[in-house]
Amino acid sequence: MPKKESETLIETIKLCKSYFNDELETPVLFDINLKIGEGEFVSIMGPSGSGKSTLMHILGFLDVPTSGHYHLRGESTEEKGEDELAHIRASAVSFVFQSFNLLPRTTVLDNVILPLIYHGGLRPSARQAEALKAIASVGLTDRALYFTNQLSGGQQQRVAIARALVTEPEIIFADEPTGNLDSASGKHVMEILQGLHKQGHTIILVTHERTTAEHAERIIRIQDGRIVADERDFTRRIASQVKELK
Amino acid sequence: MQIRDTIIIALRAIRANRSRAFLTMLGIIIGVGAVVLMTSIGRSMEGVILGQISALGPKTIALWPGNKGPEGGGGGLNADLKALTFSDVDALKKLSTITNIAPMIFVTGDIGFGRETSDSRIIGVSPENYQNQKVDIASGRFHDETDETEARAVAVLGPDTATDLFGNQDPLGKRIDLGGRKYTVIGVLTAVGSQFFQNMDKRVIIPLSTAKIVTQHSYVDMVTAQATGDLEDAVVDIQTLLRRRHSITLPSNGGTDNDDFLVRTAAQAQEILSAVSVGLTLFITMIAAVSLVVGGIGIMNIMLVAVTERTREIGLRKALGAQPKDIMMQFLVEAVVLTVIGGIVGTAIGIGLDYLIVAVAKRFLADYAFILNFGAMIIALATAAATGLVFGIYPARKAAELNPIEALRYE
Repeated sequence: MPKKESETLIETIKLCKSYFNDELETPVLFDINLKIGEGEFVSIMGPSGSGKSTLMHILGFLDVPTSGHYHLRGESTEEKGEDELAHIRASAVSFVFQSFNLLPRTTVLDNVILPLIYHGGLRPSARQAEALKAIASVGLTDRALYFTNQLSGGQQQRVAIARALVTEPEIIFADEPTGNLDSASGKHVMEILQGLHKQGHTIILVTHERTTAEHAERIIRIQDGRIVADERDFTRRIASQVKELK
Repeated sequence: MQIRDTIIIALRAIRANRSRAFLTMLGIIIGVGAVVLMTSIGRSMEGVILGQISALGPKTIALWPGNKGPEGGGGGLNADLKALTFSDVDALKKLSTITNIAPMIFVTGDIGFGRETSDSRIIGVSPENYQNQKVDIASGRFHDETDETEARAVAVLGPDTATDLFGNQDPLGKRIDLGGRKYTVIGVLTAVGSQFFQNMDKRVIIPLSTAKIVTQHSYVDMVTAQATGDLEDAVVDIQTLLRRRHSITLPSNGGTDNDDFLVRTAAQAQEILSAVSVGLTLFITMIAAVSLVVGGIGIMNIMLVAVTERTREIGLRKALGAQPKDIMMQFLVEAVVLTVIGGIVGTAIGIGLDYLIVAVAKRFLADYAFILNFGAMIIALATAAATGLVFGIYPARKAAELNPIEALRYE
């Protein structure tokens, strides 16, 4: 896939999110204005409780904003109902979670086929072929018929990446994908994500670790529900670090 | 998402929790199994009784002395009630509404051949009765008018009696002991099984005239006859005639309490049977309904547990693009698959048990046949599936309504 130059894929305007508990409002995100282009590799970085996961859930259509606007490819998403949101999740986005979230007592192959069932349109034989391709791309062909609980943590996360790839989504969200892995496995997973980025995939990585975030070409820092920095390239990051050091 | 995928997911979920699935199904298995078994037994019994009734012929009338029929503890057959006399029989013969009047006398006495004995019943009866009771001869001949007029010492044996006395030997022409007298065997009857729970194959038939001489009875123990026209008219004629002859006045309620005889027709037996059958069916339906409701609650309970247990899975499926209706269908289909499998297993067990019962019952009731009640099977299965559907809806809806983020975070 040739790398396309940034056409705006995601745009949020004054996006806010609050949680309500017995009429008690807990604001989590404030006026998030954000543009992410097609093919970008972006890290959303922030400490625990900063609202980064909430932002990812909204951007990934798992949750809806309390106010503000969210446009995907220029199209407003506010009026969409639950079924339409599910359809977007099935076709346009996918997720890699910290805790892998693979189905237990199920083979690698069946786990990777799963999104294709909800994606629709493919016959079972075609689904299997697509799933095997995705499994091959994360180097687990020889484990395709293993049960997921027979695999190491790193391998399980690679299965989760294969599952995220199989529907060829526009955006892959990775929520602390290395959080449960040892450093070697974590490095391998990040290499795979970088490889996917090089192939043209849009990747949004959510993490609290600077070292993990730095695998991306752009880091959006969030603190207390607000974007506090948007570092577009390496030099700017260095500059900000130097500033911090001073 | 296609229904095929949903069914595969449901089967996998059931397979993953086999023992729990089995225990959940048990209520349905027992309920459906009981329905299939009971209705099949009901059908078989109905078959036996209807077979006896049709063997008797739709126009056959039976008449006993006393106020109780054979179903009332066998009073009519055993008692030496003297209400029906031969002059009554002669009077009955003059009625135009009945024909083929066959009086019977029950003779007591030991039955033997050499050292072999049989506990069969000895019946003196006129040849007309063969037609009334629709029996056939297997070998030899029936006794005839000549045997009657000459009061010969001849006997026709039921097949079981013949086996008791002769084993594999040919009984024809042999001389057997009946109450200390010698009789020549002239025929063996075909097997007819039981009629009103009495083994009709275990009997020795001798000419009525011979029985009359032996017993010195001026009364009869039973009479069979055929209606020439309307059965009800025939019954009324018999009752009117006998009440007049016996000076019986009807009680004020118009019942038959004062009668010293009892008239029964095949049609009456059929009515009693169908009344019993309706009652039995209602009873079984109630049991089935209760057991299916109990089974259904079990299903609902387990499905609720499954929803809680698989909250993360539900969250994941939603994150992967499952619509609420996909999740709803997944759990609903799982509940229905559980109950349908339970229904099929229950049906199979019901059939198996029925088969065993038939094998045993055949020893006592020759006419007892293996009759499956397909209608009841289909209804039981459909009800099981409907139970799954009804009791699966609540858990499935709960699953479908889960918030994906909360579900994914669920520990």
